[in-house]
Amino acid sequence: MHDKQFMKETLQDSAKAYQEGRLDRRTFLALCGASGIALTAVMAGDAEAAADHVVMWNWGGQSEECHSSAIGDAFTANTGKGLKFDTSGPLEGKIKEMVDSGNVTADVADGDLFNAVSLGPTGHLEPIDYSVVSRDKTLPGYALEFGVSIILYGYAFVYDTKAYGDNPPQNWADFFDTAKFPGMRSLYKWANGSLEAALMADGVAGDALYPLDMDRALTKIQSIKEDSLYWGSGSEAHSMVVNGEVSMGMIWQNRGRNIENDTDGRYKLVNNQAMAMPGAYIVPKGNPAGSSVMQFIATAQEVPAQLALLDCLGMTPSNPEAFGQIPEDQQDYAITSAKNIDKIVYNDPEWWGKNGGDAVNAFLDAIS
Amino acid sequence: MQTFNRSIHPGWLIIAPLLVLVVTLYLGPIMNILWLSFTDPEPGLGNYAKLGESDALLRIVWTTVRICIVTTLFSVGLGYSIAYAMVHCDQRQKNYMLTLLLVSFWISILVRTFSWLMLLGRKGLVNGTLENIGLIAEPIAFMRNELGVLIGMIHYMIPYAVLPLLVSMQSIDTRIMDASRNLGASGSQSFLRIYLPLTLPGLVASTLLVFILSLGFYVTPAVLGGGKVLMVAEYISVQLLVTLKWGTAAMLAALMLFGVLAMLWLMSKFMKLSTVFGGTTR
Repeated sequence: MHDKQFMKETLQDSAKAYQEGRLDRRTFLALCGASGIALTAVMAGDAEAAADHVVMWNWGGQSEECHSSAIGDAFTANTGKGLKFDTSGPLEGKIKEMVDSGNVTADVADGDLFNAVSLGPTGHLEPIDYSVVSRDKTLPGYALEFGVSIILYGYAFVYDTKAYGDNPPQNWADFFDTAKFPGMRSLYKWANGSLEAALMADGVAGDALYPLDMDRALTKIQSIKEDSLYWGSGSEAHSMVVNGEVSMGMIWQNRGRNIENDTDGRYKLVNNQAMAMPGAYIVPKGNPAGSSVMQFIATAQEVPAQLALLDCLGMTPSNPEAFGQIPEDQQDYAITSAKNIDKIVYNDPEWWGKNGGDAVNAFLDAIS
Repeated sequence: MQTFNRSIHPGWLIIAPLLVLVVTLYLGPIMNILWLSFTDPEPGLGNYAKLGESDALLRIVWTTVRICIVTTLFSVGLGYSIAYAMVHCDQRQKNYMLTLLLVSFWISILVRTFSWLMLLGRKGLVNGTLENIGLIAEPIAFMRNELGVLIGMIHYMIPYAVLPLLVSMQSIDTRIMDASRNLGASGSQSFLRIYLPLTLPGLVASTLLVFILSLGFYVTPAVLGGGKVLMVAEYISVQLLVTLKWGTAAMLAALMLFGVLAMLWLMSKFMKLSTVFGGTTR
């Protein structure tokens, strides 16, 4: 797999070098031969065309297919450029490593907006070109210098209707109340969302969360530690609920619908006080496709792409223009639907970008 | 030429290219990590000083060491009885046992980890059965805690413990045991004074192998620990990928490396390590 990637890159580089006259024809053909590619298949023009695409760095699974149909097709129709994927998951450390190593192979990463705050000023990201990308097609405050929010995902929770059917939990205070609602809970292991939920449960208003009072949040988290499990990935959160390990589980809201279906409606999603997280597109410094990636980001902001992402991945639109067009059957699940938008709270990427590392470590220390 | 041959065995020339490759490709990155642990985020011993300042780090290291010690004790103990049984039963049974052992050796760690969840989880086979026949009212918490991590790790490590012990036991001349019984020793005396000392190199080899491999466990604690059992490997990965504290990660990696080296050095004070790895005692 790596060899194939290496060969592909070697060929693309050498094709460029050949075109620019830095490499003679014989050496180039020898390289083609060495990599096992039929000589006629890779003429210099072809290899150049092969580089004529945008590489999206995402989390694999369904998202590859969904990003392709929701954004890729329209992007290709508009610009004639293709869309390819690296599905290894753009964690902050991987982006830093890629840029530091000087071998940048991705054009746009499906990350979090707080990545833009932490990696932007250190020179690991390209600034967003707001002459191409629109500041108005996302929520206010979510169009930052080094990243723009394309979708929202939320920290919400599901509960077991069989356990709490008569008197269902309504909010985070109920989620943290194991006396009134006995049973196991699950929370996100890397602090995000869990800290805010704990503070809201402790009585902090949703619009007064930041800067987070870490001590207060961790005390609340620890108060239900004996009854808590912690998940590190969406699929783990999903399986903890579906396998009946927990009676109430914090989840990424876009999984809510699948969980309700997989449990035949036994578990129900609560979007009250859901924490809206701005999922953002960020561009690693020195990305191979250059500025054409900005057109890709702009395409993803358009209403059709926003609604297609909701339909395919359950990710909620961040473009206010799309809010009114959320279909009826998604009203319960999309956190910016007319039904939910007044009940949700908003993540502050500035705080997380600056304090996230220490917050995660303090959280890990508190739960282990 | 004669003196040259005496000082350097010509065999070294054959492996020299490989040796150079290994040294550059292996030691290079390790040095890089060491360097990082002294320079990121700022030059100095700051990362190492954190060990003294932060209870959190010490606790993670201690959790890791504690879990590894328990895992090693149980895997080697169980492995010893399995190897003993394998050496002393007939060839047919031994082949069956070896096949089963190797099959579990080859199954991916992820598959094994998730199988434990299905078997011993809250709604797993065991808890379900016990609840159905009315033996328990509440499911027993086998998984998503330290016990779950230990079960998963011990199960994974048993083949690693058995294989060196098997080799060591197979090379023992069983007539020695007959001779010891013939000379009046009881069964347990023959075992404790003859058999056990003879299998000691195998025992040490499997202990070292299991302990060192356990130190780097990542998937099993992350999944079966339910987020509450944090071991060094997972912490290093979080520091690298999420919190970007590469200096802390490098310091912990260096600590593990030198911990293992120090352990080997200590062992070498008490016994000749080459016997453990198949050399002769002389």
